[in-house]
Amino acid sequence: MSRVRSLWDRYRSASPVTIALLALVLGLVVGAVIIIATTPAVLNAWRGAFHSWGAPGHALKVTVDNVGAAYRSIFTGSIVDPPQFWHSVTTGRDWTASLTPLSETLTYAIPLVIASIAVGITFQTGLFNIGANGQAILGGVAGVAVATLVHLPTVVHLPLTLLAGIAGGVVGGAIPGLLKAYTGAHEVIVTLMFNYVASYFMLFCLLSTPLQLPNQTNAISRTMPGGTQLAPLFGTASGLRVNYGIVVALAATVFALWLLDRSSIGFEFRVTGANPHAARASGINARRTLVTSFLISGGLAGLAGVTWVAGTTHYIDQNFLQGSAGIGFTAITVALLGRNRPIGIVWGSLLFAALEVGGSNMQANTGIPYDLATVIQSAIVIFVATPVLVKEIFRLRALRAGSVKVATAGWGS
Amino acid sequence: MTALASDTRAKVRQPLGRTQAIGWFVVVVGLFTVFGMGVGTGTAPRSTLTFTPIDVSHGAPWPLGNLTLPTEWTLVLLGAVIIALGAEVLVRCLTKGAMVRVGLMAIVFLLAVLVWASRQPGPSQVPFINLTAILVGSAAITMILIYGSLSGILCERAGVVNIAIEGQFLGGYLVGEMIDSATNNWLLATLGGVVIGALMGWLLAFLAIRYLSDQIIVGVVIVTMFTGLASYFNSWVLTPYPNLNNGNIAANLAIPGLMKIPIIGPTFFDETGYFYLMMVLVGLVSFGLFKTRWGLRVRAVGEHPQAAASVGISVERTRYVNVVLGGAVAGVGGVAFAAIQGQFTPSITSGFGYIALAAMIFGRWRPSGAVAACTLFGVSAYLAYNLQSYQVPISTEILLMFPYLITIAVSAGLVGRVRPPAADGIPYSRE
Repeated sequence: MSRVRSLWDRYRSASPVTIALLALVLGLVVGAVIIIATTPAVLNAWRGAFHSWGAPGHALKVTVDNVGAAYRSIFTGSIVDPPQFWHSVTTGRDWTASLTPLSETLTYAIPLVIASIAVGITFQTGLFNIGANGQAILGGVAGVAVATLVHLPTVVHLPLTLLAGIAGGVVGGAIPGLLKAYTGAHEVIVTLMFNYVASYFMLFCLLSTPLQLPNQTNAISRTMPGGTQLAPLFGTASGLRVNYGIVVALAATVFALWLLDRSSIGFEFRVTGANPHAARASGINARRTLVTSFLISGGLAGLAGVTWVAGTTHYIDQNFLQGSAGIGFTAITVALLGRNRPIGIVWGSLLFAALEVGGSNMQANTGIPYDLATVIQSAIVIFVATPVLVKEIFRLRALRAGSVKVATAGWGS
Repeated sequence: MTALASDTRAKVRQPLGRTQAIGWFVVVVGLFTVFGMGVGTGTAPRSTLTFTPIDVSHGAPWPLGNLTLPTEWTLVLLGAVIIALGAEVLVRCLTKGAMVRVGLMAIVFLLAVLVWASRQPGPSQVPFINLTAILVGSAAITMILIYGSLSGILCERAGVVNIAIEGQFLGGYLVGEMIDSATNNWLLATLGGVVIGALMGWLLAFLAIRYLSDQIIVGVVIVTMFTGLASYFNSWVLTPYPNLNNGNIAANLAIPGLMKIPIIGPTFFDETGYFYLMMVLVGLVSFGLFKTRWGLRVRAVGEHPQAAASVGISVERTRYVNVVLGGAVAGVGGVAFAAIQGQFTPSITSGFGYIALAAMIFGRWRPSGAVAACTLFGVSAYLAYNLQSYQVPISTEILLMFPYLITIAVSAGLVGRVRPPAADGIPYSRE
């Protein structure tokens, strides 16, 4: 009994984890409302709901069925399909089909972890890198260029490909960093615009440079040779796409943990982010901190791009990282969800990757477009960014940890 | 020479003074115009300017003959104008008017590129420059940007950064298109745009004012959310019900008489209602902000909310009203987009909301400045989209980068000389 009481107390005290979980619930509610408001079958059922006695019940059933089917396929598509899994356990066969959902979620989480850490690092410095998408695109393009246009033994080639990706991202991060440091251009505008520039640059590379697949008129690159790909974790024969990118993502996480908690640069980042005036007063070189933060962030974003190509698609085309939001925007939401902390970001990435993978499955099964996943993700982040609102909705007691910090205030500084 | 002391101090801080850098940049562009494009094209090529608009359904303006110019000398002349602008910045050490010169330079340079690209004999498939068509096309983009900038001004003058303009555009675009397709009535569509824009503005205001959230974060997330939502609607509602996306464009309301004036007539007086509404709004916002008591209060709230509160102005209410108003204006901008575009296509606003925001900054949070900046961005965007037809030896993709590159360059070049409202983006709490 006292155990239950203490759990209840912990719930009521609104820790960041509680807030995040409740935000997930609210996000799913928002998604459900949108499904209800836009699905013809549901609307038709409610239209007839007041004509006969049994109709309201029927309408309710149709509603629950539709929303249930959508969310069920998000779950079975991203985590596990219980009957299928049970089938594998009892017969020992079809493990590929049973593990594909998890494998896909991990596959999507790999670049997301890296890109979100990239965004999180700038947030911790009090900067706003909305250009992770562009930087990841540059990373992917640079990686594919090195992988397909240079011939080297695998031992050198794969690391070189990843390094090229990092370098591409660093270039993308250097532009807003240097511009802000030396001209004062606001990084929000510069990074936003740079996303479009990077997209067109990628198209240019895919259409008018040797990067393009020979004898093609479409925007599609050459395929990376086997030696430069991040191999599937369980071998190509397993049919599972999860790959050694997971090692890269773990390395990035460890690097970020070291950087933010153990290194002096990371300390300077956090001091600058917490209080720029105090940072300046204590002798931290604001300009250097700003540029370094953007370089590291860009490099990681580039790594995210190249990891995705090398691990999953092995080539790029005009849809690379485009989508309805793009990995860079999802990364912003994940960074906020994970409170800019590497460990939090890993959990956040897994959740958002699951939503995305599950969203595709939902579209395949029920026809409801996977863009709903983006809407749910954004709703979750809006709730996470306004913990007081969540607190009021669920009548929690005090907020224990502080809310999401104000990262950038207006156009000044 | 009196400013010598401050000048040297500025030089210690920066290896190359900003004004000097801008001045030299302008000069280099001028030199490129003269020697890169002008000299060497030879004496034979001619460039022709025409002035007849493409759409003459409301009657053509009074005819104006074609103007044929020798390409080489025209380019040298235009280049000389640019060099003169740069020299003026350098010699007079213009700190205030430098960016205005850059704007002028951009327009002259774009004209030079056109003259160069359309030369005959030359590679161009279009043997002339239709100046009127260019202005009409640019006016459409400029109009959208101005709606966005006005929305930004309304919000930021009250101290709230509205980075969600892009999302409000999308909202107005989608709702406007659906309502017009269903009812064939642009007035209702506009009303729908006002409502959806105001609602989105209210959402931003609610989170930013009531819960003191980071305005940029909330704004970006709102944009992400509505990008997703618009895509969702497009495939889940508009695809199965194509009659909700029927692609009608709004008819032009030509002003008789005035539209007969060559060049100016088709550009300004043969437009959709949204264009005239935009002009009225520019005047209203300008007058309202700087000449009325309401405007004074709004600006007080944006500059120093504590002081405003101490004389009895409700900071929260002022901010709510302005952000909702700003959202509504951006929503109408979205409907205007539907009115000139016809069809709803999810990704087509491609960052216009953000460019509008940059234009607002470039225009120093003033409607008049924003109009000038939007015109610059609008013309360059239109030319970037249409320069391909002149067979310029630059890839389409590179051309399409131009509006964004210009935005980056502008925001890098003008800083230090613009000052946002002092409390812009800073949450206000009474404690």
